[in-house]
Amino acid sequence: MSGVVALLDAEDTSLFGSKAVGLGQALRDGLPVPPGVALAGPVVDAVAGSDAQAIEQVLESVRPLTGPLAVRSSAVDEDGAEASFAGQHLTLLNVTGEAGLTSAIGEIWWSANSDSAITYRQRVGLFTRPSVGVVVQALVDPETAGVMFTQNPITGADELVIEASWGLGEAVVAGRVIPDHYRVERTGEVLERTPGRKDVAFRSLADGGTREEQIAPERVEMLCLQDEQLAELCALADRCQQVYGPARDIEWAIADGTLYLLQCRAVTRAGL
Amino acid sequence: MSGAPIEVLRRVPLFADLNEDELTQVASVFKERRFSDGETVIQQGSGAAAFFVIVSGEATVFVDGKERRRLNEGDYFGEMALIDAGTRTATVVASSELLCSGVVFWDFRPVVEQNGAVGWKLLQSLIAIYRSEREAQAGSSQEPD
Repeated sequence: MSGVVALLDAEDTSLFGSKAVGLGQALRDGLPVPPGVALAGPVVDAVAGSDAQAIEQVLESVRPLTGPLAVRSSAVDEDGAEASFAGQHLTLLNVTGEAGLTSAIGEIWWSANSDSAITYRQRVGLFTRPSVGVVVQALVDPETAGVMFTQNPITGADELVIEASWGLGEAVVAGRVIPDHYRVERTGEVLERTPGRKDVAFRSLADGGTREEQIAPERVEMLCLQDEQLAELCALADRCQQVYGPARDIEWAIADGTLYLLQCRAVTRAGL
Repeated sequence: MSGAPIEVLRRVPLFADLNEDELTQVASVFKERRFSDGETVIQQGSGAAAFFVIVSGEATVFVDGKERRRLNEGDYFGEMALIDAGTRTATVVASSELLCSGVVFWDFRPVVEQNGAVGWKLLQSLIAIYRSEREAQAGSSQEPD
């Protein structure tokens, strides 16, 4: 089997990692995932080692993806039930150009082999060599993005918890803003909507990377999700649970009015 | 080309006695890593994963917050991580744009196991560090109050 496949064809977690296979399964189930390519661990290893053949294979595979890219790690033992690797591995947004992509893949390899990642692996009892897959996707440039838990990660209640902010979801994931906080019943009834304090948004830069943008004062505490969008997120949560099972941690984005699923993994309560 | 530049590795004392084939074998397991000016490369007290050789640029070594020395092209650091993946004994910060070649211990171990010359040089390097630190300790204990 090839070590470079369309995300749609990523089925083997031992090769591509749980993130790639999860996104591939989402596409196979008709979920709104941005198109992309999955790279197996050995391919990532070869690209990080400057192997010319592997680099050409990867560059060829991503040519159909237009515009800036999101490059995400998909470590083989990442996001398991026993240990959350969230924050240990790297996601690089708005990657442009062939050299930029090669460099991003190398950075992701090193993020899984960094001192902090190794220390963490040892702490949770993992002494094996990390195998890191990579997902390369077309980058969405969202008006609004965030995370959603299909079960309350604090109380365990059977309700959706949604956190949202302006721009790329990085602002929420990296804790750079106090996001809007919503709790929604499975029926769609909104139980709570608390405006956050979203004074910055991450936006893509044309030549790669992201920048922080100051939010206009009147939008800082304005709710960034309306009822219609909450209903769409509610439907997405239902579909994700049908596909993957209960208690999901979902990253999502809304760009040009379309809701995208960026990531879906099991909730790990230990880190909360 | 993949791996580390052989001409840079040849200047590393650790690999000085290796022949061309052995050096090529060692170089193949290295991977390039770039650091920005001011970026911390390794942090004292942190767990350790990789050994680095500087391909270009400069870095500064700090121990307990005090500057100890400057590193340049061909200098290397973190070799103890290749043996036990233990704790970093110094902090290294990039003092310019820094290009390194690095190898993690589970990629390097098979090389050492298959190549006694590399293992021997590594042992000598570690003994030199041990002696240097022991002499430094002896010197400080003899200083008058």
